[in-house]
Amino acid sequence: MKFKDKHRFVRSNMKKNRTRVWMTILASTIGCAFLIMLASVGFAIHKTAIDDVMSYRMMNEIQIQKENSMLEENDVKKLEQIKGVKAVTRKKYTPANQLSIDEYNTYADVKSAHMPSEEKAGFELEKGRLPQSKNEIVIGYHFAENLRKDAPKNFLEGLSEEEAQKKMKELSYKGDLLNKTITYHMKTDNQNVKVDEQAKTLEVKIVGIGKKPTKEWAMDNYVFITEDLYKEVFSILGEQDPELEAAENNYSEVNVYTASADEVKAVSEKIEKLDYLTYSVVSELKELNIYFTLFKAGLIFIGAIAVLIASIGIFNTMTMAVTERSQDIGIMKAIGATPKTIKRIFLLESGYIGLWGVGLGTILAYVISYGVNFALPIIIEQFINEKPPEDFILSYIPWSLTVISVTICMGVTLLSGWRPAAKATTVDVLKALRRDV
Amino acid sequence: MISVSNLSYAFKIGKKDKENVVPVLHDVHLHVAKGEIVAIVGRSGSGKSTLLNLISGFIRPEIGEITIGGTKVSGLTESKWAEFRLNHLGFIFQSFQLIPSMTAYENVEFPLVLKGVNEKDRKEKTLEMLKRVGLEPYQNHYPGELSGGQQQRVSIARALVLNPPLILADEPTGSLDSENERELLNFIKELNEDYGITFLMITHDHEVASIAHRKVEIVDGYLKEGRMLHEVQR
Ligand SMILES: Nc1ncnc2c1ncn2[C@@H]1O[C@H](COP(=O)(O)OP(=O)(O)OP(=O)(O)O)[C@@H](O)[C@H]1O
Ligand SMILES: [Mg+2]
Repeated sequence: MKFKDKHRFVRSNMKKNRTRVWMTILASTIGCAFLIMLASVGFAIHKTAIDDVMSYRMMNEIQIQKENSMLEENDVKKLEQIKGVKAVTRKKYTPANQLSIDEYNTYADVKSAHMPSEEKAGFELEKGRLPQSKNEIVIGYHFAENLRKDAPKNFLEGLSEEEAQKKMKELSYKGDLLNKTITYHMKTDNQNVKVDEQAKTLEVKIVGIGKKPTKEWAMDNYVFITEDLYKEVFSILGEQDPELEAAENNYSEVNVYTASADEVKAVSEKIEKLDYLTYSVVSELKELNIYFTLFKAGLIFIGAIAVLIASIGIFNTMTMAVTERSQDIGIMKAIGATPKTIKRIFLLESGYIGLWGVGLGTILAYVISYGVNFALPIIIEQFINEKPPEDFILSYIPWSLTVISVTICMGVTLLSGWRPAAKATTVDVLKALRRDV
Repeated sequence: MISVSNLSYAFKIGKKDKENVVPVLHDVHLHVAKGEIVAIVGRSGSGKSTLLNLISGFIRPEIGEITIGGTKVSGLTESKWAEFRLNHLGFIFQSFQLIPSMTAYENVEFPLVLKGVNEKDRKEKTLEMLKRVGLEPYQNHYPGELSGGQQQRVSIARALVLNPPLILADEPTGSLDSENERELLNFIKELNEDYGITFLMITHDHEVASIAHRKVEIVDGYLKEGRMLHEVQR
């Protein structure tokens, strides 16, 4: 019997019991959609977590720390020797943070940076150049926005948070800061140190502005100063705060960069052998992935129970079909249908039910998933009066989930159709032929 | 055409531990030549259907051998048997055994579908067979919409559609009135004479006279051969 004829035969059989077949398909559809939806929540949380981790750090970055002390110059030298290390960026935190120009004023994140390493690690400028002499600085992309006039009294009164944010922008510095000279106030941020109002100031020149960060929400408000300027700042601040002296040579932030993310693991291991603590997105992702893979497997397992229940429906439907058609089966066998043909016909029928169920279930899951992701933020906003985080998703259906679910559903379907189909082959010809006599 | 030797058969009834053996056929020998019409007669319950079912492969013999057209069928597997039936045997049943959900056309076409014949040849052959039994106008009727005689003609068309050399029939006229019975027997005779198709059928005495070449009688499971042959020839 040709496949095309089997197909036609099965279709006409299915049409005869349309309601029953459709109810069975409906059960499979719900089972399959439930499986996908449930697992998609796990996939969404996993994705959110990964995106979160990756959004503010680079894949080829390894953060370095020492267990009981701060990192210093000789540590950096050691790290630079390691094979596979492309660059070691090191930053020293500066306790003086206030800068101003005309009536505009800001508190920025001032750090000394080793610019050649930063450049090797991938630091890029929006415009301008890197510092070449002591009093030249590079500022972050959002520096100007945070450089503000003092707000007049009651400036933000009666405004909502959103409106206030907009209004604040009116105070921001509007012009181009490149090549402007601005004032750097030598005032430590240590609150225990009382400084008179007439603290020293330095004039520094902005020679470069950092590239706009890729993340919409990121605020780059850093100021990179040269290591020479850092030393000068420290000697000035040291007069106000003797405690500072001890910290002068400490790096607050040391990062190692590899050429690609693939090398992170190997390089991390080498660094750890030298008794440093490492932290990288890659290692965090690994832990994260193990955890979430288990979580998702659990959800798929629970969802599969729904599919299993639906498959009982298929089993019943097919068993009934075999019983109802046992006379036909007997006649077919008498004429010369082989057991294989009979089995294939019934497997095909359960297969079609499964295919419809899986197809409709998958479509339904996609629709629900889309709907939930679309509607939930609106609902949250309505009822809790709070904006959900940007890019918020509750359900995410990647291709892999679709493939896994379709495989599970089809597998279960074929398994549940197997016994009835096998039973059909055992129909006794004589009993079947005698039935209507 | 058919050669049965040493065939014995017993039904087993009841559960495995309390099995009852009902012997039905005892050491049957039967030879049917090509082109013969052989009638099997005997009292009710004597084992006629059992013999025919064994030859059809619907039940399997444990003792004895059956050969059809040179093929030793008694040892075939179930699916080989099915293939053999499809390709070499035609069946006519007392109660027609048409598939009720299929039209007359589809019932006749079904063996061709099973065999995997292409659609064009299938249509040609099916229509030819329906025309032959005079049911072309009824091709789209379901079995439930046909008279007994018409249903039996559909079943004959189905039995003939793959040109089998041998047709097995268990009381083919049993559900027909005398007019339809006579018509059917004439048709069988015609098929035998025109195409040399061999018939082995279970009938009642009075029908046989008109067409059978030979009669075999089963008495309590034992086969007695040839008694009617001379009468028929006379
Ligand atoms: N499936 C079965 N299980 C057990 N015994 C059976 C079975 N089929 C038939 N028999 C027995 O075998 C014997 C022969 O039955 P069979 O059907 O061959 O008779 P028959 O000659 O065709 O009779 P009839 O003319 O009434 O059709 C009977 O005694 C019957 O009780
Ligand atoms: Mg009988």
